Amino acid sequence: MLALKELLGSKLKFTLIALVIGLVVSLTMVTSAMSEGLLTGMSGAKSSLEADALVFQRATYPTLERSILSADDLEIIAQTPGVASVYGVGHTYASVSSTAEAFDVRVFGLGDRLDQLPIVEGTGAIGPCETVVDITAKLEGVELGDTLTLTPVDAKLTVVGFTEDRRYVMVPTLFVDLPTWEGLHVASVLGRIEEEGGTDAAATAQMEDDFAGSASVAAITLDEGVTLEDVQDAFGDDYTAASPDEAARSGNGMPEMILAVGGIQWVSITIGALLVGVFFYITTLHKTGQIAAIKAIGASNAHLYRQLLLQITVLVAVATVLGIVVALGAGAGMPPMMAFDPDPGRWTVAVLAVFATAYVGSLFSLRSILKTDPATALGRSSEA
Amino acid sequence: MFEVKHITKTYGTGRTQVTALDDVSFRLDRGRLLAVLGPSGSGKTTLVSIIAGLLQPTSGEIIIGGKQVHLRSAAEAARYRRTEVGLVFQEHHLVPYLTARENLLLVPHLSGRVTRAHKERADTLLADFGLTERAAHRPSLLSGGERQRVAIARALMNEPEIMLVDEPTSSLDTERGLQVVELLKQQIHERAMTCIMVTHDPRMAGHADEELHLVDGKVVDNGARAAVEAGIQKS
Ligand SMILES: Nc1ncnc2c1ncn2[C@@H]1O[C@H](COP(=O)(O)OP(=O)(O)OP(=O)(O)O)[C@@H](O)[C@H]1O
Ligand SMILES: [Mg+2]
Repeated sequence: MLALKELLGSKLKFTLIALVIGLVVSLTMVTSAMSEGLLTGMSGAKSSLEADALVFQRATYPTLERSILSADDLEIIAQTPGVASVYGVGHTYASVSSTAEAFDVRVFGLGDRLDQLPIVEGTGAIGPCETVVDITAKLEGVELGDTLTLTPVDAKLTVVGFTEDRRYVMVPTLFVDLPTWEGLHVASVLGRIEEEGGTDAAATAQMEDDFAGSASVAAITLDEGVTLEDVQDAFGDDYTAASPDEAARSGNGMPEMILAVGGIQWVSITIGALLVGVFFYITTLHKTGQIAAIKAIGASNAHLYRQLLLQITVLVAVATVLGIVVALGAGAGMPPMMAFDPDPGRWTVAVLAVFATAYVGSLFSLRSILKTDPATALGRSSEA
Repeated sequence: MFEVKHITKTYGTGRTQVTALDDVSFRLDRGRLLAVLGPSGSGKTTLVSIIAGLLQPTSGEIIIGGKQVHLRSAAEAARYRRTEVGLVFQEHHLVPYLTARENLLLVPHLSGRVTRAHKERADTLLADFGLTERAAHRPSLLSGGERQRVAIARALMNEPEIMLVDEPTSSLDTERGLQVVELLKQQIHERAMTCIMVTHDPRMAGHADEELHLVDGKVVDNGARAAVEAGIQKS
C-alpha cells in the first residue's frame, strides 16, 4: 500500500525516472535487435543453410570466400564415416549491371537442395540460368521475371522468385543451381587471370576441367548419434567442419562485431541499473526523517525494504514496457536495408538483467534504511 | 498500571559521558495523563524514547500491566512499538502521500492486514477528533492543529497500553495547543489509557492529571519545582 501510494503521490518524479530507464532499456533492445539484424544481414545466407555442418577446405575456415573443394574432395567427404548426406554450396562475387544503378551481390550455388529456400514471391524451382533472389534486391529495382546481367562474368540470369533473410555481407544473395554457379565461378577466375596477362586455350580448358563438379564448401548431415567432433576427428587436418550458425558467427569480422554490440548492451544495462540504484538511494536518503518516523511507529526494516522492492519492480516493469514500445517504434522507423531483427530470447535476457541489477542497486537503499535510527524521529536523542 | 523503575541513561563514555536520566521512577494508573516538565536538556525526550523502546536504558526497568518490557532486538522493539505504544511526535510526522484516513490505517497495515474493524475504528477516531470532513485530505492540505489531531488519532489506532506524546503543541499557538491537549485528555479518560505528555509549557501541564518534573535527569519534588518553573519562565 505504502509503496504504490507513494508512486502515485509523486507521479512526475517517478514518470521521469521511468522514462529515462525506459530509454536505456530501449537502447539495449535496439542494439540487441540490430546485432541480430547484423548477423542475418552479414551471414543469413550462410547461417540458414540446411545442414548439420559446413565443411571447409583445409585451413580456410571460417572464410567461405577462400574455400574451394574439388569433386574428389566432395567424394571423400561423402565417404567419411558418420556423414549421412552431402551437397555442394558454391559462392562467388558479382555485380548486377542491368538495373538503373549497378549493385553488388553474392551468388550462392546450391547442389540438389535448391528446395530449401523460403519463397515469398514467385517459385523456388530454379532451372539453369535462373535465380531466386533475396527480397532486399527489390530495393535496387529488381522485379520478378527480370533478366539480370552479371558483371564481370557477363552472364544473364532470370529472376523466378524471391526469398528472405538471405543476405551475405549486407548485399542480396542470388541463388542458382550448382552447374550455373560453376560456370560463373570459372568465368570469374578466368577473368581475373586474363587481367593479369592472358591465358591460352589449353590452360582455360585445364581449369574448366579442374573445377568440374566443385563447390566452395560442403553442407553435410550426420548419421544419428554422430557428433560434429566425431566427424572432425575423421577429417583430421584435411577439412574443417562447423555448424552453419557457428560458421556464420565466426567469419567476416562477426566475432568483433558481436563483441562490440554486446559491450554496448552491457554498458547500457549497467547504466540503467545504476540509474535505478542511485535514484532510489537518493530518494531514500531524502526521506530518512519519514523513514525514521515510520520505523518509530513500528515498521520493521523488512517491511520498508519490501516496499522499496515493490516500487523498483513496478518502476522497472513500466520502464521495460516503455522501452519495448520505443524499441519497436525505432525498428519500424528504420529503413528496410538497416538490420533490425528483434529476438525475444535476447530481449528477455536484457530485461532480466535490468531487473537483477536494479535489485542489486537497491542494496544501497537497504543500507540507509538499516542505518536510519527511529529514535531520531523524537528529537536529537539518537545514539548513533 | 504502568511503572518506570530506577531508569538511568548515560550517553557516551569517559570524558564525554552525559547522564541524561538519573534513577527515574514513577507509576501511572489507567485513565491518567501525566505531564513531564523540565528545562531543555533535562532528559524528557530520552525518557520518552526509552519507554517507546527506541533507546535502551543503561539500567532500570519498565513494567506494563505487571510484566517487564524486555526488548532483545530491533525487530522485537519494532513489534513492541506496533502493539503497546502510541507515539505522537513534536513534528506531526504524518506520511505526506497518504490521506488522513490512510495515515491512520497505516498502523494496522504495519502489523499485517487491514480489516473492516480497523476501518471502522479509523472512522470513529476521525469523528472523535472532529476530522471526518478532512479524512480524504493529505497532510499538506490540513492546518497545524488538524495535523496534530490526526497524529494523535493515529497513535490511538493500535489501542496502545501507553501513549507517548513529545511536545505535541510546540508548533501550535497557545489557544489551539490547549484545545488539542483538552481533546487528548478527554480521549485518555474515555478510553482508560495511560498517557505521558512532554511539555515545556506549565499551562499545558495544568490540564494533565499528574505532573513529573525533571531537572538534569532527576525527578525533583514540589519544593524544588518552584525554582525550576521560575527558571523556565525566564529563558
Ligand atoms: N545521542 C546523544 N548523545 C549524547 N548526548 C545526548 C544524546 N541525546 C541527548 N543527549 C543529552 O542528554 C541530555 C538530555 O537530552 P534530552 O533530549 O532527553 O533532553 P530534553 O529534556 O528532551 O530537551 P529539550 O527540551 O531541549 O527537548 C542532554 O544533555 C543532551 O545533550
Ligand atoms: Mg526533547
